[in-house]
Amino acid sequence: GVAEPAPPPAGSPVIEEPPEDTKKKIDVLLKAVGDTPIMKNKKWTVERTRTIQGLVDFIKKFLKLVASEQLFIYVNQSFAPSPDQEVGTLYECFGSDGKLVLHYCKSQAWG
Amino acid sequence: MCMRVESDPMSLNFDAEDDFCLEENRFKQYCAEFIKHSQQIGDGWEWKSIKDFPDGYMSKTHFQMKNGNTPSIFKDSTKESDEQTLTRVEEALDDSQVAGICATSEVIRYEYHVLYSSSYQVPVLYFRACFLDGRPLTLDEIWEGVHECYQARLLEGPWDTITQQEHPLLGQPFFVLHPCRTNEFMAPVLANSRRENRNINYITSWLSIVGPVVGLNLPLSYAKLVSEQNTKAD
Repeated sequence: GVAEPAPPPAGSPVIEEPPEDTKKKIDVLLKAVGDTPIMKNKKWTVERTRTIQGLVDFIKKFLKLVASEQLFIYVNQSFAPSPDQEVGTLYECFGSDGKLVLHYCKSQAWG
Repeated sequence: MCMRVESDPMSLNFDAEDDFCLEENRFKQYCAEFIKHSQQIGDGWEWKSIKDFPDGYMSKTHFQMKNGNTPSIFKDSTKESDEQTLTRVEEALDDSQVAGICATSEVIRYEYHVLYSSSYQVPVLYFRACFLDGRPLTLDEIWEGVHECYQARLLEGPWDTITQQEHPLLGQPFFVLHPCRTNEFMAPVLANSRRENRNINYITSWLSIVGPVVGLNLPLSYAKLVSEQNTKAD
C-alpha cells in the first residue's frame, strides 16, 4: 500500500524532503472550489503512486465529510481523473513550477 | 431560463445554477469538439442521428470482460495502461467475431449515449450493457464493474439517481443517470472556470464526473484538450 500524505509539522505548511526522495513524491497544491471548506494546509507532498481515490479519502477525512457527501478532484480546474489515476502521472501531464495543482469540490449530487 | 423541478431551499448556489444551463446548440458544439478529440485518440465516440429526427446523440460502445479486463484481442501493447487501453477500444470487430474468440458469457458489451435534456437543459447519460448472447445485465451486474468508491454511495440509494427508461430516440430500455441535479455539481466547476476566464468543454467535464459512476472512464488526454484551448495560463 501507499503511505498517507504526511501531515505537515505544526507551523510549517510544506514538508521538506531530502533530495533522494523527491523522485518518489510530488508536491500537490489543493484548492477548494465552490462552498467546499478550505483546507488550512494546502500544500502536501504525496507519493507518486497515490491514486485519486486515495487522495479523495484523505481529504474527506481531513475535512470530516460525512459518508453521503461526495468529493471530486479536478485537474485543469475542469476534468475529473479516474479514481485509479496515479498522481505521479497527473504531475507528468499537468504539473508546473514543480507542483501539481488539484481543485476539489464537495457535492451531494450524482444525477 | 432553466426549468427547475426541485428547488432546494438550503442550496447556496440557487441563483448560480441559473447561469449554467446548457443550451442545446452549445451542447452540440461541445459534443463535436469532444468527438473530434475522441477520433484523434481512437476513443470510439461518435455522433448518431436518427432519420427524420432533428436530434442526435453521442454514442460509444466498448467491450469488457466480466472480471474487468479487456479482451486480449483488443489489447495494444504500445498503449500506456490497461485502463486507458480499455477506453480506447473501438468497435473494430462485430459481436460474432468477438464471441468466437472469448467465452460468450464473459464478454460484456457496454453502450453509452449522451443525449440532451431540454426539460433540464443539461446532458443526460443513458447506458446499457449486455452479454454477447444478448442477455442484458442487471443494474447489480453493472455495479460490479463500477469503482468501489462509487459503489458505497450507490448502494445507499441508487434508485434516487439511476432509473430505467425508454431511450427517447431508440425506444429501447436503458439505464439513465437522472439529470435533475446535474446543475448542482456542475455549477461550482463552471463558476470557477468563468471566474478564471477559462473555456472548458461542459461535456468533457460532465462526463469525467459521471462516467466513472457507471464504469466509463475518460482518458486523461481529454483534460489536456481543454488546456490547449485556454488562452490564460494557470
